[in-house]
Amino acid sequence: MSSFTQILSYDFMINALIAVLIIGPLFALLGTMIVTKKMAFFSDALGHSAFTGIAVGVICGIPDTTISMVIFAVLFALLLNHIKKRNPENVDTIISVFASVATAIGLAVLSFGGNFSEYSSLLVGDILSISRLEILYLLIIFVVAIVFYLLAINKLNAISINPTVARSHHIKVQLIEDIFAVIIALTVMLSIRWVGLLLINALLILPVASARNISENMREYTIYSIVFSLFSGLLGLFLSYFINIATGPTIVIVAAIIYFATYVYNVSGGRVH
Amino acid sequence: MNKSKKVIFVIVLLVMLTIIGIIIVKVFGNRHSSEVEDDDKFTVVTSFYPMYIAALNVTDGADINLYNLSEPETGCLHDYQLTTDDMKLLSNADVFIINGLGMEAFLDDVMKQYPKLRIINASVGIESLNEPHSNEEDEHEEEHEHEEGHEDEGPNAHVWMSVANHIKQVDNIRIGLRDANPSNASLYNENASNYISKLEQLKAKVDNSLNGKKVVLFSEAYEYLAKDFGLDVRAILDLDEEKNISAREIADTVDVVRKDQVPLIIAEKEYGEKMANAVMGETGIVSVYLDTIIRGEYDKDAYINRMNSNIDLLKEALK
Repeated sequence: MSSFTQILSYDFMINALIAVLIIGPLFALLGTMIVTKKMAFFSDALGHSAFTGIAVGVICGIPDTTISMVIFAVLFALLLNHIKKRNPENVDTIISVFASVATAIGLAVLSFGGNFSEYSSLLVGDILSISRLEILYLLIIFVVAIVFYLLAINKLNAISINPTVARSHHIKVQLIEDIFAVIIALTVMLSIRWVGLLLINALLILPVASARNISENMREYTIYSIVFSLFSGLLGLFLSYFINIATGPTIVIVAAIIYFATYVYNVSGGRVH
Repeated sequence: MNKSKKVIFVIVLLVMLTIIGIIIVKVFGNRHSSEVEDDDKFTVVTSFYPMYIAALNVTDGADINLYNLSEPETGCLHDYQLTTDDMKLLSNADVFIINGLGMEAFLDDVMKQYPKLRIINASVGIESLNEPHSNEEDEHEEEHEHEEGHEDEGPNAHVWMSVANHIKQVDNIRIGLRDANPSNASLYNENASNYISKLEQLKAKVDNSLNGKKVVLFSEAYEYLAKDFGLDVRAILDLDEEKNISAREIADTVDVVRKDQVPLIIAEKEYGEKMANAVMGETGIVSVYLDTIIRGEYDKDAYINRMNSNIDLLKEALK
């Protein structure tokens, strides 16, 4: 396709491409851990806290609201983590309460004076306007996530299987869970402007859920997650370029198709092909 | 589950999706992309409709490419998201004409990617309303606090709604294009002076016959027109697609209409009609719907025709 080379003549497409190449594996890695630890709702709540983070930044007069967004999300994640610990039996209710409150406060402050439209781009995101510096931030968090993954994946798994046993093996449960929560918070906040609040959780969960449908061990699970995540990102980006529709939703639609295909494959016991 | 079977399944799935993707692109793709000619011609891109119409007149007959960013189907520009086509247009542009005054705030992130793109700000030298410290209209200051659409204490960007200001914009565009593309300078000068003389005729219709008449505005877009006519603006309620108007603002407006016996609401058909009907039912006031000229057909005379009918409608309503 000659138009393929044409794509690469645009800086914005190269930037978006690099961003997808980083976000794909990053989300897949985190997603595997999120799904294993049943924290899908947690990452969703974090996304919603972005509104409050921005609102806090606006109130304090911080020119770059990304900073206040990140700080707020980190604190929010740690707070959620600790409250979760105290009430393990109704985690989803508590997270839902916190997410609603964070969203409501954010919306209330941002809509003061009717200015909400300025922030509505946060809902859908715009990967086409990502700059090199912002890609660098993503790359840093990606490296941090990989290091964390390599060091802590077995411990995380142990914790999610049985926290008491994990503790008896001298695993610092609280510390590892806090670091994990902070990494999720940083990732969600740094990518929310590009992926969009409405879709960020879909991108974290869908490829991983697809991989889970067909995997039997951790290795397959991780590899398929990364493959599906990257594939949906790339195909979604190119489709959105050629058909001229928003990028985020296109990526999610591709990921969703993969999910349903793997689901069907799974329930039919692999006999379809 | 057999392992190699699974790998085959995944590969087949991904390949099939890719093929489907390519088919979709072949069927639906490249509808707009062909518009952008990748040639060496001087390329001018405008940020939105009034700028495009002005540039269309100034560049009439010149051998250049003139494009407008794709238009949002609804609403103002603030919540606008650029499409890949727009990004392509900007990548190929030599000059980008903007209205300025915060109207293109949505482009801030994007512009950082094109530091070398030459920008013509059409509103240079135009005195805008609502500047933080120019309190020309102290008596209305209270209302102004409520009706900032774009950012806190930002200027009112709808300067093209004043014919006098728009003349200045056309001249700014002429100067910008003349400097950026000297080979067509004389053509731009000539076109601009023809177009400006037509605009001057239109401006002559904005006379003082309506001086001092009381009105309520349901969009800050009409503030410039009201000022040109010397209208006495008693309240401004900025109804926009995503504005959340508080109950108190509406109540205040109704109070002002009753107390001052304001005869006319000036509103935008799309966003103001429901509210205008509500206030009309409450107070017996009438309303007129004027055109904000932010989207429409790409016709050279569009601005003049539509502004002309605005002026006629307003005069008729306040007769």
